[in-house]
Amino acid sequence: MNSPMSDRRQFLRHLGVGAAAFPFVAGLPSVRGDEQQVRSTPKRLVVVFTPNGTLPDEFWPQHFDGAAELELPPMLSALAPFRSQTLIVKGVNNEVRGDGDNHMRGMSCLLTATVLNPGNIQGGSDSPAGWASGISIDQEISNFFQSRDESRTRFGSLEFGVAVPNRADPWTRMCYAGDNQPIAPIDDPGRMFAKLYGGAASRRRVAGVLDGVRDDLRRVAGRLSPADRRLLDRHMQLVSELEKDIASAESQAALLHPEPEIDPEIELVNDNTPAISRMQIDMLVNALANDMARVASVQFMRSVGQARMNWLGIDEGHHGLSHEPDDNADAHDKLRRINAWFAGEVAYLAQCLAATPEPGERGGSLLDNTQIIWVNELGKGNSHTLVDLPLVLIGGGAGFQTGRAVDFQGTPHNRLWLALAHGLGHEGLAAFGTKDFCAGGPLPLA
Amino acid sequence: MNRYQQVRHKLGLVAFVVAGWGSCGVVPRAAASTAAAVYQETCAACHGADGQGVAGAYEAAFDGELSVDQLASLIERTMPDGSPEDCVGDEAREVAEYVYRQFYSIEARRRRGLAPSGRVEVLRLTAGQHRNVVADLIGQFTTPPPESPFPWPSRGLVASYFQSDGMNKATERTLTRIDEQVDFDFQAGAPVDGIAAEQFSIVWRGSLQAPCTGAYEFRLRTQNGARLYFNKEGLYDERILRDDSSGSVGDPLVDAWVGSGALRESSARVFLLGGRSYPLRLEFFKYMDATASICLEWKPPHGAWSVLGGDDLTTGFVSKTFVTEAPFPADDRSAGYERGSTVSGEWLDAATAAALDAADEIAERFPRLTGIDKGAGEFAARLAATAFRRPLSGDERRRFMELASGDPGGRDAGVRRAVLMALMSPSFLYTELTSDGAPATQHGVASRLALALWDSLPDEPLRAAADQGLLETREQIEAQVQRMLADPRAHAKVREFFAQWLELDERDLSKDRTLFPEFDEAVIADLRRSVELFVEHVVWSDASDYRELLLADYLFLNSRLRRLYDRAEVVAGDEPDASAASGGDFELVRFDPDQQSGVLTHPYLLSALAYHNNTSPIHRGVFLTRNIVGRQLRPPPVAVAFRESEFDPHLTMREKVTRLTSDSACMACHSVINPLGFSLEHFDAVGRWRESENDRAIDARSTYPADDGVAVEIANARDVARYAVQSDSAHRSFVRRLFRHMVKQDPTAYSPELLETLRREFAADEFNIRNLIVKVALVSARFELTPSDQEGSPQ
Repeated sequence: MNSPMSDRRQFLRHLGVGAAAFPFVAGLPSVRGDEQQVRSTPKRLVVVFTPNGTLPDEFWPQHFDGAAELELPPMLSALAPFRSQTLIVKGVNNEVRGDGDNHMRGMSCLLTATVLNPGNIQGGSDSPAGWASGISIDQEISNFFQSRDESRTRFGSLEFGVAVPNRADPWTRMCYAGDNQPIAPIDDPGRMFAKLYGGAASRRRVAGVLDGVRDDLRRVAGRLSPADRRLLDRHMQLVSELEKDIASAESQAALLHPEPEIDPEIELVNDNTPAISRMQIDMLVNALANDMARVASVQFMRSVGQARMNWLGIDEGHHGLSHEPDDNADAHDKLRRINAWFAGEVAYLAQCLAATPEPGERGGSLLDNTQIIWVNELGKGNSHTLVDLPLVLIGGGAGFQTGRAVDFQGTPHNRLWLALAHGLGHEGLAAFGTKDFCAGGPLPLA
Repeated sequence: MNRYQQVRHKLGLVAFVVAGWGSCGVVPRAAASTAAAVYQETCAACHGADGQGVAGAYEAAFDGELSVDQLASLIERTMPDGSPEDCVGDEAREVAEYVYRQFYSIEARRRRGLAPSGRVEVLRLTAGQHRNVVADLIGQFTTPPPESPFPWPSRGLVASYFQSDGMNKATERTLTRIDEQVDFDFQAGAPVDGIAAEQFSIVWRGSLQAPCTGAYEFRLRTQNGARLYFNKEGLYDERILRDDSSGSVGDPLVDAWVGSGALRESSARVFLLGGRSYPLRLEFFKYMDATASICLEWKPPHGAWSVLGGDDLTTGFVSKTFVTEAPFPADDRSAGYERGSTVSGEWLDAATAAALDAADEIAERFPRLTGIDKGAGEFAARLAATAFRRPLSGDERRRFMELASGDPGGRDAGVRRAVLMALMSPSFLYTELTSDGAPATQHGVASRLALALWDSLPDEPLRAAADQGLLETREQIEAQVQRMLADPRAHAKVREFFAQWLELDERDLSKDRTLFPEFDEAVIADLRRSVELFVEHVVWSDASDYRELLLADYLFLNSRLRRLYDRAEVVAGDEPDASAASGGDFELVRFDPDQQSGVLTHPYLLSALAYHNNTSPIHRGVFLTRNIVGRQLRPPPVAVAFRESEFDPHLTMREKVTRLTSDSACMACHSVINPLGFSLEHFDAVGRWRESENDRAIDARSTYPADDGVAVEIANARDVARYAVQSDSAHRSFVRRLFRHMVKQDPTAYSPELLETLRREFAADEFNIRNLIVKVALVSARFELTPSDQEGSPQ
């Protein structure tokens, strides 16, 4: 009878043992050695999503595109250390219409910039809709990286989630591999840890019992006839070979940056969100540092998410607060603290990237070659507008001119994704998402 | 056939086609005073000085089951080749004794490593056993499922119909009933009375029993929202699983929850172990769509796509069965049956992966496992004892308790470590680790019974019986065997045996579509089901008569198969109804006994044993020779392809094969193969009855040279079956196959006489297959033989 996975490579990949592991290992700077020199400077993309719109009066700076230095509003003060590498973009709208309410289109058309399929999922208003009908920009860029030898990595892209509820619908998915093909973010740090470093953990566990296995084999073999003992002798030999394989895989797969320490058994409950966020960001940065992927995303909650941020002293759900009228000072204060907390998580990501030197002889930090973009599905929570999406870009990946704020006065966000793709080297991308919205080409950000 | 070839044949050294035959001429005979000298001078040139065979002459080593008398008679009649008169009488007898003693007997072949070892060997678990054992090991620590509103074994699924309020918010249950299958087209209407058509939801719950091990596919078709959950924990809540629920249920197997305004088809594949049940849950909702429909289909191994339903789908609620996906390499089959006689790097990798999988599964289910409340150490010790299929020694117990409870990484890390240790230990991986000759302990008996009947480990009742010393007497053990035989796992193992005996998995049945346009995938799947139904009908009937398998004058046909195979005129108005389309309406259909004889004329086998555009008397003949009349055939050392285009198209298939094999060398084997194969010439390449071929009447008559030298006249398949049901070698071959399949050891491992004893008892017991299974399980569990006389043993 054939086994379900007769391919031995699958197991070897799992355990990270043997030659089959090498294609991945070879992607690591530590292994590529001289070859690394000829690889061009890597470019990376990290998308951070936070939900339910922002507070425009707290988010937008006073001045745009002036010669003056970028002024960060207090809500975004966590980003101060990266001010010179920060670019705030106003006047960019999600102009995709059609089926679905604004939350749904805000979420599922955000990175895809194309319409939703008709469907059976309905929110508070408008017509029901289904999944987005096209690929998302992060996947488009990842596919581009993966299609080229010098930028191909083990995973291509990694989709992290923080407190994303266990449901699959257009409010919970922003990454799409294509029409009708949503990609689920991994919001369990344990699962993500297993995906990134599972081989190593398994290897250690197996290595830890091999002495005991050998003792058992010896004990049992002693009772057997010489003919039967042959089978167990061979088994004993194989155990030694496995031990050697594990040891050599361990040295081959040695990470340039050792894996972060996380508690893989952390309970996925609302109150653990801050800890989970940091674990996910730590793993994301580590994965980029080890060149496991060059595209990543972190999705906080979901569109219409009702996170109760007890850790900020807020008991109400986030989405409920975002519906409160502008003159509700209490809600306004809480939303400011919520968005300031999100800014802090983005800042932590930037800080980790800035603290990690770019591998090789090039100098600089990971942040210098990584484009962070912080996005939201709505311009403003209580109006559900898709105009003036709050967009913050940090880092040097796309080569944009930073340390400023720019206002495009109303243009489709398709053009921003074109600019991002071109800035990251995917210059052949002539249009993205709904073609009509691409007129004018990439937004001039460089 | 000349005498030399007859001998080759008798000795089981026949080959289909042998090149360089002419080099084996008459060996000049010198004066020889001893049988050894006669052998070396007269026989060794072709048979080899050590009986190992000679390339270009008689290529294979001696192998067979004749007595010394039979050997002597053969030599007298046929040896040396071309001048048998040179060795007759006492001399032939002496040479026969010498050959028997030196080369031919089981002991002689065993000495030379050419026969099974004659002892119960230490074997590792086979890949199939390994998966079963891991599944049942975790199963024994799994909490029982909730009670179903319609307890097992009602067919179908528990269906709960809800009125919705706002998309999929099921508010009010309107109806709970049993749906035999999920294949509904509600169009624009409501599914049941009392529900508005605009928005409603339905939840189906139940379990699916996998009839055999393999890859299963499931397919959902709907223009609305649906998701299929399969083989997970927590699938039996009645209400639609809330989207924002804790998430403990995890991802659906098939997720078609979000619509796209069109009919969609989504499918997934999953590997399942046969003889086990799996929890299943299907959720559906309609919201504002113009129409609604839902269809759940499956494609089991060897099957075609059809609506999921039938006996395998029940309203019973069951617990999750853990199935490891570790990539086990194929087990050794060189002895003619799968057994764990070798270890390799691939195997150790797979065993390690299975252990890691199991540790992950246990860690994930930790709080819900039974016995965990007694502490990690105690749990680990119990798990190890279950895995080892025996109580732990004091030292082992201490070690496992320490492993699990003393890990600095905490309870989870400790238990993972203990699971890994247990599942990589030889006490888990190997069977028969007791030293030779030691008396069987009662836990050993339990372990062997579970392996023989289920390919798994003892269940709770069996282990408890061993713990309490209640596996002492034959009656006690037999009562357990009878209980275990009713378990679906035993049925799965028996089904596997028949699939192997009848070679059901080994051939491609697809045919030339212009010649046989009706013979499509669905027909092939139905035929497979038909042959399985037939075998099960016979084996699990009261008589359980082996002869019925060969002689039955009936088949199980559904309406689709009837259109192809029913030889009676299909009456007008007998068109298949809608349910027939799924092939679920099999009925017993009787035929003229001269035209129907059990598995021999089952269209599945007749189609498998045929070319894509014509019959193949050679394939059919070889199968009948080896598997039905139980004679040995060597594979041909030189392959000769049958090329139909090289023959005059006016010839019949029988004439073509006769010409192809007319050479006297070929006829060494084909004198046996061809008559058996020709007996089935009335059945075309898809197993339909035919009276003529190329406008010429079919000639199925011939003379079959039986292995006792008698010429048997056969006119049809029934004559072959009649011969087989009274042939000792046919019975012996069947018993040996069954024994090897169940025990993974050769019967000679227990005693030289065992096979003969079992054969005689089988014959005396009206060839009751179920009783034979019980007997094999008993013998393997206790190493105990029933009394035997020496009549049939080698002299």
